[in-house]
Formats: sequence, C-alpha cells, structure tokens
Amino acid sequence: MNVVVVLGHPSADSYCAAIFERIILALESQSAHSVTAIRLADEKFVTAMSTAERVAYETATPLISDETKRHAEVLLQADALIFVYPTWWSGLPAQLKGWLERVFVLGVAFRFNDNGKIRPNLQNVRHIIGVSTYGSPWRYVKLINDNGRRTLTRAIRMSTGLRTRTMWRGIYALDTCSQQQREEFIADTAEKIVKRLEKSSR
Amino acid sequence: MTKTLMIYVHPVEGSFNSCVRDAVVKYLSKHDHEVRLRDLYAENFDPFLSANERALHHTPPTTRPELARDVEDLRWCEAIVFIYPTWWSGLPAMLKGWIDRTWMNEVAWVLPAGANTIRPRLTNIKRLVAVTTHGSSKFVNALQGEPGKRIISRSIRVMCNKLCRARWIALYGIDNSTLADREKHLATIGQRVARALR
Repeated sequence: MNVVVVLGHPSADSYCAAIFERIILALESQSAHSVTAIRLADEKFVTAMSTAERVAYETATPLISDETKRHAEVLLQADALIFVYPTWWSGLPAQLKGWLERVFVLGVAFRFNDNGKIRPNLQNVRHIIGVSTYGSPWRYVKLINDNGRRTLTRAIRMSTGLRTRTMWRGIYALDTCSQQQREEFIADTAEKIVKRLEKSSR
Repeated sequence: MTKTLMIYVHPVEGSFNSCVRDAVVKYLSKHDHEVRLRDLYAENFDPFLSANERALHHTPPTTRPELARDVEDLRWCEAIVFIYPTWWSGLPAMLKGWIDRTWMNEVAWVLPAGANTIRPRLTNIKRLVAVTTHGSSKFVNALQGEPGKRIISRSIRVMCNKLCRARWIALYGIDNSTLADREKHLATIGQRVARALR
C-alpha cells in the first residue's frame, strides 16, 4: 500500500514531529507498505497560493511549479493519506492548508464530467487518517467545532469518494498532559494506524 | 463611526473579491467609518509560522517586532471585516496564517498558569464580519461542516469582547452564478456590511 504521511508542524523537535516519526517507523517496518514522508516545513513548501497559480487554477494546467507537480504525482499514487498536525485556532496550520490549496487542483483532486459537474479524482485514496494535537480540552474542541478535522474528513473526502474510510486520533489539553500520557498516545496511535492499514491491504 | 480593520485576501487584482473590497471600502468611508485596509497579498505578508516563531509562542509581542503593525491594528479596532474567497471549505492559507501569527499571546489571549484554555484579550473588538465567496452551494458547505464560518464565528470570536457579534455574508455557488447575481451582491454589499457593524 502506498502511504503518504504529511507533517504540518514547523519544528522538528515538537511533539507532533515525534508522533509523525513514530508512525513512519511503524509503517516502514511493515513490508506491505511503501511510505512517502512529507515534511512541509523542512521542504520549505510555499504556504500561500501565488497570483500566477490562482490564474492557472482556472485553466486545464493548474500545476505550474516543480514542488506542486511532485506532490501531485505522489497523491495520484496514494492508497492512504495520513495527516499529522497541531490544531491552531481550531483549524489546520496555514502551511498545511496551503498544501491542500496548491496541490489539490483540477486533474489531481477533482475533474469535470461531460456535464461540467465536479467529480472526485482521488478515488485511489482509500484511507484518510488524521492525527492532531489540541491545546484545548475535548469538550472545548467540540463546542468550537473541530474545523481542521472537518476540512480533512469531509471537504477532502469529497474528492476521494465515499469508499474512503476515515480515522481520527486526537490528544487534547496537551499543555496539561503528562509525559506518560504523551508517550502512550504515540505508541497507541502508531499501533492503531498499522492495524487499520494492515486489515485492508490483505 | 466604527474603527474598522479590514483584512482583504485574494491573490488576483480585478477578482470578484477585489470588487467586493472596493464596494465595501467606498460605502464605509462615505458613512463615516474609520477604515484601515490591510491587503495581505499586496503587502507580501508571510503566512508561514516558522519553528523559531513557534518557540516564542508564550513570550510577549515585543519578541516579534516584525508583527508590531498587526498588533497595533488588532488593539486599535472595534470591528474586523474579513473579505476572502472560501477555498477547501475554509479560510485561504494566507488568512489562516495571518491569524496563526498575529493573534498572539498577550494580544489576543493569555494562558493563566496551570490552565488549559486561553482567556480573551481582544475585548476592544465588538463586531466580526466575514464577507466571502463559495464556489460550491450552501448545501455542500453545510455537509462539510462549515469549517471557515466556525473559525471566525466561534474560535476567534471567543477571544473578542463578550458581546462580540459575528456576521456571515456569503455568496454561495459563485461558479454557477450569473453576472446579474454578482452585480446584485456588489450593489448591496456595502450596506449589508455597514448594517452588520451597527
């Protein structure tokens, strides 16, 4: 299974990055998977869609830079997408949001059918898995609305089709979590993800 | 007479959103509102919150002098009007990055020792208005759970005044709209925003 794992946290020594690295390690130890790790900050991935890209977005060839072309190729081969990011202001960090805007374009995430209606184009993606850290407690996240989660499991899922399964792992009230809770969350998350992807690659 | 901070985000000058911006600025200025317009793309604002800046998360705003203007604007205004296109059901990365970077410790919020929820600091802000366009229909956005709307009406609003009101003015289905639909939107948008600021 081709698994694409994306890190949305800027620092390599963050807790988010630790979760990310553990997931990569756990998946790479399984011979059934081929893993592509995308560290957006390390790659210096450009956050905002540029004017030229916005103009190209409306055309049949929206991918105009090497970095977006490369990521689009990876996406079109992916069987599973895993997002690891910190929830900021109840949503995705800007760089991860920018990745969606710049790479999930016509011919990658969607296409038009003969009647000019939008149709999903990432039907190869069978799993969307999100792992996020929250500063706020669970209750508060639910009250405010988990907007990052909704963007990934609903808006992006509309581009992958209804067969796509989603899975969510969140660690809440991170500022008051003990070291032990953090470590348990990492181990547990890696294990559950491996299990989920194992079942369907059989 | 409202001190209004207008955050405008669209990469293409001449876009429908830029027409909305002009219509709103014109109307508000004519009706005695004090408007500060911020055009994030034109200013080349960098929406990326870097690792170094993230390390300053719990420090006072003086550690980030490059954002002094944003801090001053946030503390000055009584209302914020956001004008932007909705992409992937939410705020464009440029706008999300502006919030990520500038709604900082001691400006927008404080975290008391031992607490896990932040407390509001932008009590000067009593109105939030989002003026946006959607390619898809209202129904599709509702299925997606309205992430963009809720970032503004809930997540950031709780850092403003207790009585702060959030208004949502959206043009849905712009991809299938007619010229007449869009002209109608432009003709009334200034007035609708002014009413939301009352």
